[in-house]
Amino acid sequence: MSDQARRVVVTGLGVVSNIGVGAEAFAESLRAGRTGTSPIASFDPAGFPVTMAGEVPGFDPAALVEHIEPARWGRSGQFAAAAARLAVRDAGIDPELLSRANAGSIMGTTGGESTVMQKLTEQWVRDGLPAIDPALAGQAPASQIATAVNSELRLTGEAQTVPTACSASNFAIGYGYDLVRTGEADFILAGGADSVNRATHAGFFQLGALAEDLCRPFDAERTGILTAEGGVALLLEPLTSAVGRGATIYAEVLGYGVNCDARHMVNPDAASIAECIRLAHEAAGIGPADVDYICAHGTGTPTNDATEIAAVRKVFGDEVPPISSIKSMIGHSMGAASGLGAVACCKALEQGFLPPTANLRRTDPALGPDLDCVPGRSRPARLDIVQNHGFAFGGNNAITIFGRVS
Amino acid sequence: MRPLAITSCGLVSAAGLGLAALDHPEPAPRPEADLPPRPMRLVPEFSLADHIGKRGTKHLDRMTAFGLVAAKLALADDGAEENGARTGVVLATSTGSVRSLAAIARDTLVQDKPYQVNPAHFPNTVMNSCAGQIAIWHGLRGVNATLAGGQVSSLFAFRYARTAIGQRLADRLLVGGVEEASPAVAWAWHKSGALRADTAVGEGCALVAVEDAERAAERGRPILAHLLACEVGYHHGGDRTSMAGALASRVERALSRSGVRPDEVDVVSLGAHNHVGLDRIEQRAVLAALGRQPRVLRIADRLGETYSASGMMQLVALLREWARGGADRVALIPSVGRDGNLGCLVVRRPA
Repeated sequence: MSDQARRVVVTGLGVVSNIGVGAEAFAESLRAGRTGTSPIASFDPAGFPVTMAGEVPGFDPAALVEHIEPARWGRSGQFAAAAARLAVRDAGIDPELLSRANAGSIMGTTGGESTVMQKLTEQWVRDGLPAIDPALAGQAPASQIATAVNSELRLTGEAQTVPTACSASNFAIGYGYDLVRTGEADFILAGGADSVNRATHAGFFQLGALAEDLCRPFDAERTGILTAEGGVALLLEPLTSAVGRGATIYAEVLGYGVNCDARHMVNPDAASIAECIRLAHEAAGIGPADVDYICAHGTGTPTNDATEIAAVRKVFGDEVPPISSIKSMIGHSMGAASGLGAVACCKALEQGFLPPTANLRRTDPALGPDLDCVPGRSRPARLDIVQNHGFAFGGNNAITIFGRVS
Repeated sequence: MRPLAITSCGLVSAAGLGLAALDHPEPAPRPEADLPPRPMRLVPEFSLADHIGKRGTKHLDRMTAFGLVAAKLALADDGAEENGARTGVVLATSTGSVRSLAAIARDTLVQDKPYQVNPAHFPNTVMNSCAGQIAIWHGLRGVNATLAGGQVSSLFAFRYARTAIGQRLADRLLVGGVEEASPAVAWAWHKSGALRADTAVGEGCALVAVEDAERAAERGRPILAHLLACEVGYHHGGDRTSMAGALASRVERALSRSGVRPDEVDVVSLGAHNHVGLDRIEQRAVLAALGRQPRVLRIADRLGETYSASGMMQLVALLREWARGGADRVALIPSVGRDGNLGCLVVRRPA
């Protein structure tokens, strides 16, 4: 292994989301500010006061994957495998080359195979523990998410799942970036997956964190998140390899920052997030003035958005770049969320636009003056360096920085 | 990649608390209701408050308690007062606490209203909860990672730790694995047919403090072991021979990157000897890579099958032997799972 760190670029994007399957359809929805949340259909929401979520409607894994047999995998693994397959197609790389290479996957998640757990619990309640289906139990470990990616793409490198909750995709991208730049791997599919399920919906409701109808980040009347789902994967490879094969390069991963609040399980911490932003800038070799856009964590809860903006102001002062939340459209897809943010960043760099905060009627004046949350619809913009936020339960902050490759 | 030094160890296992507990006779088995007809190796009851104080522990779950106590033991044993900003946590768990998760999922089905779950228990259901609580209780603000890889999870934690220390995300890390047995987990193992009929389901948490080996030496730390290499990979489907070949190639690569010849490996701390089918794969891979069968340790016979924590328990078995003055120098820790994950660690006893 060489001590000389390699430059790492993003050359393939795969998305399975409620606003589009495939990165191009996803980007079109972002530009239009299209909302993908809808009434819950994957479980019976009777008895829940809130019945909206961000499910992927009509998700058909068999139409997307080539190798895995969807019935043998949980929904999150299906999302992950489908997104990874789409990323490889998008990258225009020979799949055979990939399976012979030192290639693997790093996939983030919050709830893992939560719908498998849900089914097992239903069997338990109905017929008792001795009646649980062992094949289903075999699908339950969260590790099956990255395993599904390697199985679908026939990869022989590592298949690591990082269940660092709602910043997990950013965590995975950072880890994948390190593996590629140090030569531990030559290609990494990095991203995340999660599924809408009853337990998560109930938990967030009881925390008082669910919005009733729409997710309205940064709005004066924002009330919370909508739980959502999806899968996302970015193909990371060395710049030299991408140039050598004439690949489309969406962005360079300039660096990332991770830290831990170590204060509270669920309440975010502005000082710690600000420190994470500084760590990311330092790693990327940039300063605040270099950042053209921030893809916010922006969950839409009163606390998150206020804390996030306070943290951004600590670093950026009065010069806060445009900052928007794509969760306004998708809802909170948990472990996939910051990966979808990363794809939004890559597409924004490529196509020159600012992704919007949909459903934003009146920016909360308590967030301070001169805040551009790109309300409603996207705007054209030339972007060179963008910053992508992911924060999580457990105080796990992870921020990735992407730049245009000149 | 530079070697890591393991400078301390915190262990919570069926043998009791602490590494030395492995020398003591087996504590009496603790009965739990609703278990399948199969042996269990459960952590003897302990009071969390005795270790971390009483305040604020009410809503912590059992798995988190394992993690907090293991971390306390590892940090206390380490004896180093270090800045929490540069110390992080890397924890392996493939399912989180199934007990906590299932309790919430059950409540959505059996309570009068489906949302009547305990909000104070909900944060326990995210899989990074244990690592997050360790950070909170011990003030560790460095990188905080949770890794899942089934049977191979603990090796992934080491692989992550090597990268994180190498990339200076932290100066020091608590690295380990945690697994909690519960009726649901025990039934899942029992019905899977993956384990031999007489193999116990186990649980526990082992955490070791690691840092760059040169740094540890400069600071005069007690060094329990050097971690020389961690190679992992994935093998799709296939027969036993090809999977054994895939594992053997990782072992060969790990030895080569460690600068260790196959004939220098004195001991293998096995992980799959109680797994139907995988036992042969592990055996064959070791034979193929080393050309012989060195002395073996079988810690799972003592602690039961500990899944996400199994790789750590394999390491712990070696650390205990070395602490007692065993003569072996270089050890191999293989790991392989039915999901296709596989890998190995190469560990050397300090001279």
